[in-house]
Amino acid sequence: MVWTKWSYMDHWVTETPQGPQPPSFNRAYMDRYVKQLSALGFTGFDTFFFYLPLYAGMYGGVPGFERFLQDNGFDKITGIFSAYPSATKYTAPHVRETHDRIVADCTNTLRMCEALTGVENFIVMPTSTYYQTEPVTDDTIKVVADLWNRVGKLTLEHGMKTTCHFEFWGAIRTRAQLETFFEYTDPEYVHFFCDTAQHTIAGVDPVQLFRDYRDRCTGFHFKDTKNVDEHEAYRTPPDPELMAPQVTRWFYEMGEGGLVDFPGLMKEIVASGYDGWLTVEHDKAELGGGSYAEATAVAKWYIDNVLAGAQAAAEAELGVAR
Amino acid sequence: MNGGIRWGYAINQWKPQFDDFVRREQHERALKTISIAGFEGVELTYGTGRWEPLGNPQQLAANFGSVTGFGEFVRGCALDAVSSWYWDPAERSMEHLTGPLSPMAEDDLPAMVERARELAGALPELGGSVLVVRPVPGAGDVEPLGDDALGRVAACWDAVGRATAEHGVRTALHVDFLSALRRDHVPALLDRTDPAVVGLALDTGELTAGGIDPLTVISAYGDRIAHVQFKDALAVDEAEEYLQPHAHWTVRVRGGAREIPRWFAEPGADGGLVDFPAVTRALVEAGYSGWIVVESDQSPHPAASALLAGYLVQRELRPLIETEKEAADA
Repeated sequence: MVWTKWSYMDHWVTETPQGPQPPSFNRAYMDRYVKQLSALGFTGFDTFFFYLPLYAGMYGGVPGFERFLQDNGFDKITGIFSAYPSATKYTAPHVRETHDRIVADCTNTLRMCEALTGVENFIVMPTSTYYQTEPVTDDTIKVVADLWNRVGKLTLEHGMKTTCHFEFWGAIRTRAQLETFFEYTDPEYVHFFCDTAQHTIAGVDPVQLFRDYRDRCTGFHFKDTKNVDEHEAYRTPPDPELMAPQVTRWFYEMGEGGLVDFPGLMKEIVASGYDGWLTVEHDKAELGGGSYAEATAVAKWYIDNVLAGAQAAAEAELGVAR
Repeated sequence: MNGGIRWGYAINQWKPQFDDFVRREQHERALKTISIAGFEGVELTYGTGRWEPLGNPQQLAANFGSVTGFGEFVRGCALDAVSSWYWDPAERSMEHLTGPLSPMAEDDLPAMVERARELAGALPELGGSVLVVRPVPGAGDVEPLGDDALGRVAACWDAVGRATAEHGVRTALHVDFLSALRRDHVPALLDRTDPAVVGLALDTGELTAGGIDPLTVISAYGDRIAHVQFKDALAVDEAEEYLQPHAHWTVRVRGGAREIPRWFAEPGADGGLVDFPAVTRALVEAGYSGWIVVESDQSPHPAASALLAGYLVQRELRPLIETEKEAADA
């Protein structure tokens, strides 16, 4: 049976009279954006915490925005992404003294999600940039783990799972660091969100990582990359994702000949019995003159025409029916 | 039989000017976008030379090995067919070393028929069934069409229609808003052509921009409609600027005296003047069977336009056809 729980991570830039802007530019742009995602068959919508006030303003509240999504064929808002990518003296996950402020921030975000159908994932970047955090020791990871244990307990009380989305330029990036982090965090409160491209760039096999942490995995970003970071770009200040000298574009949509083995991952997902949301993401699709509409279309085409086949083959091979 | 309506999308909007959109990976992404937006066919536009890989059968063969190879490429992108080919005989042919051809010039008739035969000959292998043609030049570029001229034009398209029919392909006359046929001449031409081989291509956007309600055309010529193109119109040429020379550039592209930024957009665009549910319902009631090819000429964002058009077709127009069909069957 076809996988119906495909969501879209709210990374879209559109041309406006003021140049390239997110669709939150105004209500008409936002409506057109949602209609395009609807035409492609997405049924879940993940977004950033900082967009929630904008959507509330345009649609009479975040629940009003969710109702608009539902009027256009979506089930619900599925995930909220929260992050502190740049450490400040107020918010830095590796600095224990800032944790109260971060927890308060998360509480505010959770308040904005009240009365929604049921956001499942509270997705977080567990750390700030590597260069601001290093040296990354066991103690550093322990401090970070303590924060997300706190936040995880909090979000669970609101029905959401705190799930950690690791960046190739974050302070927890290697296989050993990931293992330490998972060891220090409570499986009940802290989960794993598998971004296929970020792990690949960091030299970690996302398929193996999912295989090993399937029990803690609550979601995926299906996005591709064509480069492994072989030049310690992850240490580049201020932003390795956009300003690394060796690689100008790290991320690509599925189906463009990148390094991630998506059919292999699909097979693992089927074998694991995971039945949650799968999410498409492709940040910076506009680099090189690309369009988000076309990138999203190509990714969804790949899902319907390649991954659906991989899923069916895996189900047949494993004798499972979804 | 209304269940015979198939939805296609015109790829022309992806090519804003002559040396763009020439690489195969660009074609692949466009075709995949059209497919995933919910369309089953793609309409090609005739073109010539090295920068028109999809422009004619020779270029298909040069770029894809053969017409068959191109068909495999299209199906590999999960599209069923090339629905149709749009051909303006005024476009020269580098492959044949010919200049513009005119349906009003008897001397051009053999070449016109031969060119149409080549395009039509490739279509069945690609799953297509319609050659969409520009029947006459723009109003500002020819003398007003008298009886003699209309007679020559009708004879030309009858001859072309017979040639394409040999391949099972209908010839459909596409009257655009700059056409010399726009004012009063469509009936005069249609009445002189053979309904068995020559039909009408109904383009909602062109008719509306020309001040003609597509519903009246469906009402009057429903049985002659051999092809449909759905695009929206954002403005009407009320001042009849189409009568100016070189109106393709001065009016269509540059926007005329009012500097209209875009005459056309995807169906359902903000400010669009066409009532697509009404047109769809009228086509069903007229018993239309065949392709409806959606277009978004002049779109600066072709993929977004295709997805927005797909939204309208999936959520409104296709269900409307199903409802109408069920009501008719009940």
